Amino acid sequence: MNKITQNDIEALIELFDRSDWRELRVVGNGIDLFVSKDSNARRSIDSTTVAPAGAESPPRGPPTPISQPAAARTPPAHWVVIRAPCIGTFYNAPEPGAPAFVSIGQSVSLDTEVCLVEVMKLFTTVRAGVIGTIRELLVADAELVEFDQPLFYVEPDG
Amino acid sequence: MAEPTPQTRVLIANRGELAVRIARVARTLGMESVLAASAADRDSLAAREADRVVVIGSAPARESYLNAPRIMHAAIATRCTALHPGYGFLSEQPTLVDMCADNGITFIGPTAEAMRKVGDKLSARALARSVGVPMTSGSERLTSTAQALEVAGQIGYPVITKASAGGGGRGMVVACNPAELATSFEKASAVAREVFGDGTLYLERFVERARHIEVQLVGDGKGHVVHFGERDCSLQRRYQKMIEEAPAAILPETARMQLQQAAISLLSRIRYRNAGTVEFLYDEPTQQFFFMEVNARLQVEHPVSEFVTGVDLVRIQLLLATETGALPPQPAVRVSGHAIEARILAEDPNRDFLPSPGRVTRWRPPAGDGIRVDTAVTEGTLIPPFYDSMIAKLVVHGRTRADATERLAGALARFEIEGVATNLRLLQFVVDHPDYRSNRTDTRWLERTLLPAFRAQ
Repeated sequence: MNKITQNDIEALIELFDRSDWRELRVVGNGIDLFVSKDSNARRSIDSTTVAPAGAESPPRGPPTPISQPAAARTPPAHWVVIRAPCIGTFYNAPEPGAPAFVSIGQSVSLDTEVCLVEVMKLFTTVRAGVIGTIRELLVADAELVEFDQPLFYVEPDG
Repeated sequence: MAEPTPQTRVLIANRGELAVRIARVARTLGMESVLAASAADRDSLAAREADRVVVIGSAPARESYLNAPRIMHAAIATRCTALHPGYGFLSEQPTLVDMCADNGITFIGPTAEAMRKVGDKLSARALARSVGVPMTSGSERLTSTAQALEVAGQIGYPVITKASAGGGGRGMVVACNPAELATSFEKASAVAREVFGDGTLYLERFVERARHIEVQLVGDGKGHVVHFGERDCSLQRRYQKMIEEAPAAILPETARMQLQQAAISLLSRIRYRNAGTVEFLYDEPTQQFFFMEVNARLQVEHPVSEFVTGVDLVRIQLLLATETGALPPQPAVRVSGHAIEARILAEDPNRDFLPSPGRVTRWRPPAGDGIRVDTAVTEGTLIPPFYDSMIAKLVVHGRTRADATERLAGALARFEIEGVATNLRLLQFVVDHPDYRSNRTDTRWLERTLLPAFRAQ
């Protein structure tokens, strides 16, 4: 496969629109495109962390409901990604029922707590590490996250 | 109609060629596999072979392959029913076995209890003694240089210090006289403390020109233990094996049977489960053998045993985990022909074996009858600098040792690797050496005779 162009992607989406497929995933040559007709579809995660195409009924983790609409979207280049420090369960609040650490539009500073990642009952606090505004929440509460997986998009100040 | 077996899903807590192998064997058995990979291995061949990949941490092993909680989290979150630890990393850590048990996951290996019994070298010696397996005269745990000197005087020089908590050459120093022992004891203990977290040492009489011979075994956990022949792994550099063969061609038939029987008695006593190896030193002139240690896992060099017995040991390991009675009866295990494995390392023998990670720009492994290459490398693979430098195992089989040696020489000559420095030239030099051809070697031969000759050419 040669370099994938904008035209190729448009052609693929058009093909997808006309088909009766529910989901389409294209991985390779530096892109990871995931489109879905299901508004509750699982968000595409890092292309390198999912099963290769062709694996029959790949094992799944716990159910992973997600509030974000599915789309292959690239954030503006200057936005900063807060990533998972290791594999674990993502928690958006200090305890069940408590208000979330952060929400969209909230300002954060370097040491603002943004979430917890739990590994075998050991909780690690993840801090923003950037001064700016939370623009997107990429992971739902209690979801499995892998090392380096994007958790939040932050628009830095200035 | 038989009850449908619940789907077995195996977490592979390892990397490289063995992870590839486990994923492939799992697939042929209708099992699913999940690879717990480090970030450096997310695009590895093992990642492509597994049904699913979970990136558990960054590249350094303590953040990933040595991090038991993260591995367990991956296993639980992906609903694995079994876990294969491979070799190295956490494969001999009883705490991982305990964590598996606590979470209802079958550990594909021995019980934690067996692992503890044989993992501590002194307790393994006590076990061997209790079933009458011969061993070199040695000491109990030593606490000071003064005590070591006293015990060494009784045992007789040369002696070798060994760490009670582990092997691999760390904490091992040979002393030929009291002065050498006095200068090396503290240092060896410090190394053992550093590497194993336990500085306990003991002494053994050092057998100077010994062969390293080990017996491959698999137990069903109920007291039935089957051997799959023995291997001669005498070609070592700094206690790291470089070339291994099966069977051990120098063994007279009586000694072979005694060795195999000793290994079986030892592991039967503890109702050993899954694959393990009992290692011995063999003194050729006297035809005596001495117990060295038990490796409570599958070993790197297991393919030579597979080649001569026709048995797939990884397959047996996985089947044992699902309790379908996979162990063949002993008489069904027959050794045929001779197999040799050469470890291909990304190390430069011309620069004191400096590891040479990097991108493999050309990769043409040999193929043909009686040739097997176990590897996770393909052309373009990046060899990461974080792990062991072994990039492939070249294994050959022939009718006789001479046939196998000839085949190995040819296969090494055809193996083309570019982009990273390797030990291919050194392996060729070994295989062409008259001592190797006539099988007159011992565990020190490579360092004593071969390496100086290699450097001088």
